[in-house]
Amino acid sequence: MTKEWILPKGHLSYWLRQLRNTASLIAPLRVDGDIVFKSLENIHEVSLDNPALLPSPKEFLFPQQESLFWVEDGTKVRQLYNNEKRFVFGVRSCDISALRLLDRFYLEGYEDPYYSLRRKNTVFISIVCNNPDPTCFCIGLGTGPYLEKGFDIQLTDLGDRYFVQAGNTKAIRIIRQWKFLFNKPKRVDYEDQYEVFLSSKARFQKRISLENVREYILAGKVKDSFWGSVTERCFECGGCVYECPLCTCFTVTDRVYSFGIDRVRLWDTCLFKGFTRMAGGILPNEKKILRTKRWYYHKLIHYPDVLGGFGCVGCGRCTVTCPGKIDMATIAIKLRDLQDND
Amino acid sequence: MIAMDKILTVCPYCGCGCGLYLHVDRGRLVGVSPSKSHPVNRGSLCVKGWNAHEFVIHPDRLLSPMIKDKGEFRECTWDIALDYVAHRLMEIRDRHGPDSIGILSSAKCTNEENYLMMKFARAVVGTNNIDHCARLCHSSTVGGLAAAFGSGAMTNSISEIRDAKVLFVIGSNTTEQHPMIGMHMLDAVDRGAILIVADPRRPQIAEFAHIHLRHKPGTDVALLMGIMHIIVNEGLVDIDFVRRRTENFDTFERILRDFHPHAVERITGVGIEEIRRVARIYAMEKRSMLFYAMGITQHITGVDNVRACANLVMLTGHIGLPSSGINPLRGQNNVQGACDMGALPNVYSGYQTVTNPRARRKFERAWKRKLPLKPGLTVVEMTEAAYEGRLKALYIMGENPLLSDPDLNHVNEAMKRLDLLIVQDIFPNETMQYAHVVLPACSFAEKDGTFTNTERRVQLLRKAIEPLGNSRPDWEIITELSRRMGYDMKYRGTYEIMEEIALLTPSYGGMLHHRLREVHGLQWPCPDVAHPGTPFLHRKKIAKGLGTFITVEFKPPAELPDDEYPFILTTGRIYFHYHTGTMCRRTSVLEREEPECYVEINPDDAEVLHIKDKSQVRVSSRRGSITVFARVTDRTPQGVVFIPFHYSEAAANLLTNAALDPTVKIPEYKVCAVKVEPLIKEDRRPRSIKIVDLEDLRIT
Amino acid sequence: MTKTYRNIYIPERTEIKEKLYLTGDVCLFRVESERPFEYNPGQFFMVSLWGAGEVPISVASLSNKRREIEFCIRRAGKVTSAIHELQEGNFLWIRGPYGKAFPLEYAIGRDVLIVGGGIGLAPLRPVLQWGLQNKNSIKKISLLYGARTPEDIIFKEDLQEWAEKGINVVLTVDRPGDGWDGNIGLVTTLWHKAEIDFKDAVSFICGPEVMIKAAIKDLFFFGMPEERIITTLEAHMKCGVGKCGHCYNGEKYICTDGPVFTYKEIKEFNLL
Ligand SMILES: Cc1cc2nc3c(=O)[nH]c(=O)nc-3n(C[C@H](O)[C@H](O)[C@H](O)COP(=O)(O)OP(=O)(O)OC[C@H]3O[C@@H](n4cnc5c(N)ncnc54)[C@H](O)[C@@H]3O)c2cc1C
Ligand code: SF4
Ligand code: SF4
Ligand code: SF4
Ligand code: FES
Repeated sequence: MTKEWILPKGHLSYWLRQLRNTASLIAPLRVDGDIVFKSLENIHEVSLDNPALLPSPKEFLFPQQESLFWVEDGTKVRQLYNNEKRFVFGVRSCDISALRLLDRFYLEGYEDPYYSLRRKNTVFISIVCNNPDPTCFCIGLGTGPYLEKGFDIQLTDLGDRYFVQAGNTKAIRIIRQWKFLFNKPKRVDYEDQYEVFLSSKARFQKRISLENVREYILAGKVKDSFWGSVTERCFECGGCVYECPLCTCFTVTDRVYSFGIDRVRLWDTCLFKGFTRMAGGILPNEKKILRTKRWYYHKLIHYPDVLGGFGCVGCGRCTVTCPGKIDMATIAIKLRDLQDND
Repeated sequence: MIAMDKILTVCPYCGCGCGLYLHVDRGRLVGVSPSKSHPVNRGSLCVKGWNAHEFVIHPDRLLSPMIKDKGEFRECTWDIALDYVAHRLMEIRDRHGPDSIGILSSAKCTNEENYLMMKFARAVVGTNNIDHCARLCHSSTVGGLAAAFGSGAMTNSISEIRDAKVLFVIGSNTTEQHPMIGMHMLDAVDRGAILIVADPRRPQIAEFAHIHLRHKPGTDVALLMGIMHIIVNEGLVDIDFVRRRTENFDTFERILRDFHPHAVERITGVGIEEIRRVARIYAMEKRSMLFYAMGITQHITGVDNVRACANLVMLTGHIGLPSSGINPLRGQNNVQGACDMGALPNVYSGYQTVTNPRARRKFERAWKRKLPLKPGLTVVEMTEAAYEGRLKALYIMGENPLLSDPDLNHVNEAMKRLDLLIVQDIFPNETMQYAHVVLPACSFAEKDGTFTNTERRVQLLRKAIEPLGNSRPDWEIITELSRRMGYDMKYRGTYEIMEEIALLTPSYGGMLHHRLREVHGLQWPCPDVAHPGTPFLHRKKIAKGLGTFITVEFKPPAELPDDEYPFILTTGRIYFHYHTGTMCRRTSVLEREEPECYVEINPDDAEVLHIKDKSQVRVSSRRGSITVFARVTDRTPQGVVFIPFHYSEAAANLLTNAALDPTVKIPEYKVCAVKVEPLIKEDRRPRSIKIVDLEDLRIT
Repeated sequence: MTKTYRNIYIPERTEIKEKLYLTGDVCLFRVESERPFEYNPGQFFMVSLWGAGEVPISVASLSNKRREIEFCIRRAGKVTSAIHELQEGNFLWIRGPYGKAFPLEYAIGRDVLIVGGGIGLAPLRPVLQWGLQNKNSIKKISLLYGARTPEDIIFKEDLQEWAEKGINVVLTVDRPGDGWDGNIGLVTTLWHKAEIDFKDAVSFICGPEVMIKAAIKDLFFFGMPEERIITTLEAHMKCGVGKCGHCYNGEKYICTDGPVFTYKEIKEFNLL
């Protein structure tokens, strides 16, 4: 169920202020040379001109470091939930697409209570990218630059106004709270929106079909020597995983304070050899090549089989964070070139 | 409180000085992310940076001042602790003179704190006995490069690396020790630069090298002189440059004649052809950058090694231009700053020597105190003095000499003999066991200030969270202590300290906090508030006037392998850990990756000694012995073994030699003689099981 | 928001009722939980000790009415050593059971071959107990068990009892001490003593990886169908519920898709 409205640009800051009065509002703000998601204090700092921000908004659902629970006196277990209601404004379509898979991962089977609660309490207001970064490649994956469904609230910048779409009842209710700010869309608005979609699509510099790459890998055509040359460049920083909106691995550690024990989970990555360490120092993935392959195969082969979509939405963040330049897109392009030469 | 705040600050680990955001959720640190616009890391971080948030709130943090009472530490208030320290320091100063007190400042602390510490030593205590761990890694750089050019820092910027045509990397495992600089190097290689690596081991960076010279450890001078010999012989010298910008070339050339390539080949074990190739490539390309790190500096010939590098650069005129220069890669996040701030026994901030009466008068006027004349003791000399009973008190800020100094057994004894040992740190460390007073300091996330990275970029550190427990920023502790010793230091914030630094330090003249805020810091020299900073040094003119060719001679390492101790031990850092491990070993991911100390040994040597991969071995030198796991790898050449020095349970520095470079007194960490013996664990099962490969199964 | 979430990460309290050393470094913990747990052979619990951490431990007993669970724990590292320090009356925190159990229904009407090595006998113990309970519906049970030395044999009393009750128990050690007059060598040298019809049998295997590999290879060679060669795999685990990613290996999560796998799956998904 989708409903549409028009929000004149002049109304945006008023609307944001209203949103902020009902819940905490996180938005992309310009600080010290970068644009980062943080709590909105000054509405005028909002900056919507940088598509995929570091880090990905998964941090609002699955933070880098999170206390699971406290234990006092060795017996009293106190659960720690973050019950805060939040709006995250200015998220991009690729990240919203990622949520679909994250939801399946965290909520199916054993439900992760922390993710689940945060997810229920967070409303994402996404914005259609009309000027994608050179690193973006969502277009080949159907995960952006705009979405047909799956969003909470999606805005399209039509120059002097936003085209607003609400994708579920909760979102519709939110818009209706400030109904007077929104107008009914006219024919021309729909046409303009379509125009924006078209022009945005034309601006992509990278078009990658992960489907082809997957088939190529599954056909057994990629040799270990290829992975060797890729792996050589890995700095083992974990950046590709930490920043990826679809990576979910964590480690758990106990912090023993004098006043209790804090069981914390922290982001972890499969690119480290100790990730699979077993008792007695056995390291099943001691060879770096195994880890790089595992990362890539997991995203390209395993994810589609289990969660019904690639473990990559083409946000291009790993292209930015990888110091060795062996990110998802670069590897895919290399493989495509290999394929062409076959 | 703000639900999700992000504060731009600087990574507390290495000298790259990456810009990162600390994520704060209602006053609690929850994560880290890289700054995309930062010129060094450009949206990347290494694994240490990515996990920089975790150690801050580790339960081991020191949260209250403590005084040792009958062999046990008791928590007390700041007033009591500071009064006690002030009282005892004054007592010792009055009884034994100011030079019986030593102060160790820290390359982990901010510029402001280092400046205050040196002010405290000189103006309040009245001694020049102040030093820090740069002595142990890069004092040869400061000594060697300052003499040649008048400034001991990286001459280029990190962002210039990608435009270089030749990268000559000596004694630096860049991708692991300075990962973000390694990233720029890789970038340059991708863009067609030639990478030459000279390292006895095969570090990761060597995988990308076009030429890898594996000379014998401790023969760097010979190697470099050999290269220069060929450059001179083949007429590849940049004669214009040598004539107009340098001096003393003729004397140097005479010495150079002794380094005939054949002799060099014999000493270094590197073939003449290889040396010749390197000489030609390096000299003939214009945008050539030279990099070196601890592999060059930590030798008894450390200064000569550095001088040789400097001479090579001058000979070929590869200095004073973008992407062309000599670049020492400094280890600690603020080791450059600590040196700049004069946390050294012989200079004030900005390398103004204490023996220079004009400089001294300037500081005396500003500080309103008479200052000591004679240069003070260095780190290793302080230990020696403590051992001999000449040094009575030691005030250590953020350092851990009991893991980082060479010949630990000796250091142990020295610490025991002190009348007063003050340790000011964020975590308990090995040195603390001998301390009389412990003062809890704040971590990088809880204070303001500036750090200077290896490319001379002075950057703002911003406070993200409130100090934990009762801990206080180091600078506040110093001012409080100073007040109690009768010298009032009045600063309302670190920006006021920086103002004073700018006033007294020509190269920091324009480094005011509000200016650093706008950009990702400024690179010194930045003499005034309008100056945009200096991306590369020695433009148009060598800083000191003319560059000086300083003659060097080849000396073999102080301790060479013999029949009893047949291996050369070299020590160093590994990627997942950092220095003495106080921070990274309290980060779960990092500790999990490398929880145990190990020794790297070549497969051929291992076979002779019957050492299996992952088995336990004992490594001993004339000074001590440790038990570690063997890691059999051809990264290490035959006859050489490598041990990381981060582990207190198997401290590599129990083995190392405290032999010092004669000029700057840097200890020889990179070479000493050891023997390696396998330790057969008694319950080792004979390996009778044949490993079955499931591949075989699949065929059937 | 009033709905309370059942938190899969919070363990429940159990009390250690009995602590019994089986060998120098293997100890059997009998714990009593506050509510009854239903679990099957092959499943495991995440066992926590505050401050030390959490480790996966298989159940070493059959689910029973008495709210008792037995864990057989070898001192292997940080957490397990800390657990060994606990005394009777102390608390151990567990959550679970997790993972797939041994498909015991395969055994109905067939010969059962149980192959264990070292501590690998622990998860197999409830299989044997189940076998004895359901003797009538299965044909014959053979147990091949190998340990490093005679002292390392765990569950010695159980072995005795099983032998008495008609299970074909074959023991072997790698390094015999004095007074050992039994078999010497690997379990995989004892197939002829199993005395079962390999083609119509089901095998349950647990032990060190090398042993598992060798056993699978031989059994397959003897004609045992690959879906009836059943083993458990080990991996580093942090959550036990398919979230942390540590145990992911060759397309499967060992914790939720396993730890029990058939050889067929192992081959298909590249698990070993
Ligand atoms: C499904 C399953 C069932 C098991 N059943 C038993 C059993 O019944 N009895 C028994 O004695 N042991 C069993 N183990 C092995 C046992 O979990 C490890 O010996 C134990 O985790 C070692 O932890 P440690 O902290 O003592 O060792 P350390 O080496 O100090 O390990 C540190 C951390 O690494 C992880 N880790 C290390 N090794 C393993 C491992 N092998 N498996 C999983 N995580 C590991 C743990 O999370 C641990 O917190 C089982 C393992 C699995 C996967
Ligand atoms: S793999 Fe890279 S491009 Fe793909 S979603 Fe993750 S971070 Fe983005
Ligand atoms: S970001 Fe690049 S270098 Fe870092 S772990 Fe991932 S692949 Fe390796
Ligand atoms: S490269 Fe150095 S400064 Fe950068 S993140 Fe890593 S440790 Fe920190
Ligand atoms: S143990 Fe966490 S995913 Fe399997």
